[in-house]
This record gives sequence, C-alpha cells and structure tokens, in this order.
Amino acid sequence: MVQAAVTRGREARHGGGFQQHKLAPYAFISPFYVLFGFFFLAPSLIALVLSLFRWDGINDPRFVLARNYGRLLSDKVFAQAATNTAIYAIASLLIVLPLALVLAVLLNAKSLRFSNVWRAMYFTPVVTSTVAITLVFQILYNRDTGLLNAPLINLGLEPIYWLGDRYWIKVAIIILIIWRSTGLLTIYFLAGLQSIPEELYEAASIDGASMLQKFFSITIPMLRPIILFVSIIVLLSSIQIFDEIHILTSGTGGPANASMSIVQYLYERGYTRLRLGFASAVGTVLFATVFILSLLQLQWYGVFRKED
Amino acid sequence: MDERFGQRLGVIALHVVVISGALLTVAPIAFMIYSSFKTTTEIFTLPPWLPPAEWSFKNYETLLTSWHFPYWYANSIIYAAVVTLFVLFFCSLAGFAFAKYSFRGKNVLFIILIGSTMIPFQLILIPLFILMSRIDWVNHPASMIIPWMAPAFGIFLMRQYIQAVPTELMESARIDGASEFRIYAQVVVPLVRPGLTTLAILTFLGSWNSFIWPLMVLRGNEVITLPVGIATMRSQATASQIPYGEMMAAATLVSVPVIVLFLMLQRYFISGLTIGAVKG
Repeated sequence: MVQAAVTRGREARHGGGFQQHKLAPYAFISPFYVLFGFFFLAPSLIALVLSLFRWDGINDPRFVLARNYGRLLSDKVFAQAATNTAIYAIASLLIVLPLALVLAVLLNAKSLRFSNVWRAMYFTPVVTSTVAITLVFQILYNRDTGLLNAPLINLGLEPIYWLGDRYWIKVAIIILIIWRSTGLLTIYFLAGLQSIPEELYEAASIDGASMLQKFFSITIPMLRPIILFVSIIVLLSSIQIFDEIHILTSGTGGPANASMSIVQYLYERGYTRLRLGFASAVGTVLFATVFILSLLQLQWYGVFRKED
Repeated sequence: MDERFGQRLGVIALHVVVISGALLTVAPIAFMIYSSFKTTTEIFTLPPWLPPAEWSFKNYETLLTSWHFPYWYANSIIYAAVVTLFVLFFCSLAGFAFAKYSFRGKNVLFIILIGSTMIPFQLILIPLFILMSRIDWVNHPASMIIPWMAPAFGIFLMRQYIQAVPTELMESARIDGASEFRIYAQVVVPLVRPGLTTLAILTFLGSWNSFIWPLMVLRGNEVITLPVGIATMRSQATASQIPYGEMMAAATLVSVPVIVLFLMLQRYFISGLTIGAVKG
C-alpha cells in the first residue's frame, strides 16, 4: 500500500502535487497552533472574561460587569504605576535611543581601531542576567558605601538615598535601563547603518560637508524607518518592565510605590493578593496598549528588508 | 590649523569616547566578579578597587555547600536545554512549511502567527498561572518547557533562513522518493545550521535569564532556577545579614558562562536579533 501511494505520488507529481505533499505542511505547523491555542489564546480569552468577575481562586467567581475597570481607573496606585511606567518609557526614548544611535555611528567609524573588541564590550549587557546585574547595582546604589555616592561622601556632601527616595529611585532604575538596553539598540542601529550606501557620504565629503552635517542630513534621514521601529521596541519593552524593579526594591516597588511598574502592579494584585479578576482587567488594559503599539510596529516591519 | 592634525585629533577623541564608554559598560560586571572574592564587609568598603584582605573562593564554597545552588544550576541548564531542543525542532518544521509550501489557508494562518506576537506575555500571566495550577503544573518542570516550545519569532527566523534554501534541491529529493519529513531532515536542516545555531542561542538565553514566570510557577529549592534562587538568597536573609559575597559569586556563575558563550558565538547572536526580530 505504501508502495502504491509512493507510485501514485510520483505519477501525480506532474499533475500538481500528491497527498503527502498536501498534508505535510499542516502537520509541520500544527505544534505552534496547538500550543498557541492552549497556552496563549485560551488564557487570553479567560483573562478577558475573568476581568468581568471578582474571584480569589477559591470561592465562586462573582460577576461584577465593568466594576474592575472602574476601580482600576480610580485606583491611585494604578495611576502611580502607569505614570512610573510612562516615565521609564519616555526616559528610554529620550536617553537610550539617541545614545545608542550616536554609539552605533561611532562604532561604525572606519578610523576606529579594534572595533570588534569595543562592540563586544558594549553588547555584553544584552546577555547578562538581569537579576545578577541588578544585585550589583543595588550595592553600587548603597547610600553610605555605594560607589555612586563615593564622590559626594569624599567631598563631605549629603549622600543620595538612591533606593529610599521617591525621586532618586526612578533615576536609579533609569540608569539601570540605560545600562541594560543601550547595547541592544546599538545592535539594531549598526545593522541599519550597513544599509546606507557609502557613496552618499563620499559625495557629501566632496561637497565639503562636516561630520555633523553628514550625521543630520544623511544618517538620520536614512535611518528614519529604523529609528521609528526601534522606538516601538523601546516602548514595548518599557511597558513590560518588571525584573529590575522587583529585585532593586526587594519586590515592593517602593518606597511607597514610587518605582512600581504596571506589570509589578499586575503581579502584586493578581499573584500576591489573588485578586484574579481585577488583575485580569489590568492585563486587558495592558493588552490594549501593547496591541496598538504592535500595530504601529507592523507598519515598520520590513524596515531591514533590502532585497524585496 | 593643519587639516591632517585636526583629523588626527578627531580620531583620538573617537577612541577616547568609545573606549571609556566600553569600560564603563563592563565595569559593573568586573565589579561583580571582583566582589565575588571578597567578604560582604569588604564589598561595602570604599574604594571598590581595594583588593580583598585574602583572595579566596570561600564565597563559592559556601554557595555550593550551604545553598541549593547546584540544584538551581542544574535546573536552569535542563529547562533551557530541553526547551531549546523542542524550539529548534518545531520552529524549523513550521518555518519550512511557511517558506516552501503553498497550502490552503496559509495566509490566514500566517496572520495568526504574526498576531500572536502581539499578545504580551503579561496579559496571560495570571490566567496562564491559573491554568497551570488547574492542570497541576505548578512546581512542575512542564510549566517551564511545554508552553514555550514553539515561539512565533522562532518560526519567523527559521522561515527567513529556509527561504534561502534552493527549492530545486527539495524537488530532486522528492523525485528520488524522499518523504516530506525526510526532505526536511536531510535536505533542509543541514543547510540552515547557522539559523538553528542563532535560534538555539536566543532561546537558551531567554530561558536562562527568565525571571517572572519561574518566580511564579516554581517553588521549593529543588525545582527553582538560578535567577529565582539568587533572588531568594536575599529575601530569605535578614536585612543585616544579606550574603552579598555569596550572591556576587552566584551572579558571576549565572552570567559569566553566558557572556563567554556570547563572545564565542557573537555573529550568530547579532544576526538573530536583526533578522529574526525585524524581518517579516
């Protein structure tokens, strides 16, 4: 029978494909759709439904319509978490992104010797465990003996209470974000720089353009799609920030929620306090935000494509 | 001023800026490794470049003997290795299908694939956790492996690499009577080794460094992963006796092997980030 099928297949080849050829791709892609349906789609739908209920995971769920959303929007801690998250996102956009862009241009300079060595050094934060490095920063941020306060202490000035001050904790987290994500964005920008034709710079040199003029009138306009793409990536990853804050603040998001992010809020309400319905509402709001940003990202999806 | 001189000055400035930034970037990692040989008191003594009174591996010894560190390490390796094997298999199969077959519903299925990347993991954090507890996967290795076996980004990545494989090679294998799976295993896979290496690195690294999910689903010293274990080293200690020396040793052991791996396989890693994350 198998032999017959093979023969039939061979015969059918010219006639436009045979059974196995037709079914194989479905078999090949099925693992993704099974796993996606069970572990992602189903939970997403459960979250949407659950956001209309009040449930502690033990007693029967109680239908509360949109009350979770109402309570969420009037919750001061949520407002704080949303504001903090927005601050992290904006800081990343205004600091990390330009820094990475300039760094990529510098690393791409032909006159730079041992460029590979420096690149590798800049990229190491991308692969370093967030938990490990956050613990290191925790030591560096120590009020009385941290390296970052050492100059102030030496000058006899009041040391900064990095981890205990409502304002400085955010600065501390932003510094950590800068350290962690500049290298990653630099990788994207370096890839983008490869696609700028060399002749543009040569022509500009002949016209007597300076380095800065070339940067602003060739590099930036040519990288425009990638800059937009990277902006979306930055926004998406800022919205999902959790690890750094959780470790740096010992899981509190403190002092007094001053550093808490939306995901930390979600974790705390849903996982620690078991307010499952309410946390699902938080997740749904987050989803709506990310969905819109992702749609924007799709617009720029093919930005690195050259061949088609 | 001499133009040549100005150019030289520019090159020197370029090197000064690039090198000092690079040193600043690796400084915290150097601090981490250096501190792992110090006592906790010495770690909190300024300036940090003072050498320890006695160079010793004591932190490492304590880490291996008084904590469940070897378990954490083994768990992290096992979860990451197993999930990586499955990801390589499932993503290359699906990438092959999307790259080289035309089949009914392909477009819709592909749109679903793209759409799936729009679901932030955080949305399903709580319901996925509920699901895990319903099917008794809390504290079970399956929760660290099975839901993550076929990520959409990996399928994109493999599709991208497999598109470059000449279709004629497949056609001739088919004429020789090879089954579709055999074409995949014997024609496609050997030709996309760089893509598989890239995907393996990204997957392993993602699993190795993941934090919030294992923090939620794994409990107990015998099953938790390295990052969660290191975090519990601090939360289990009283505030005045946080074992920073041992934590720096643990941090070194969790990150340095990965950094070395990265330095060796940098090329694959970077192409994965730029092709996989960005190309459609």
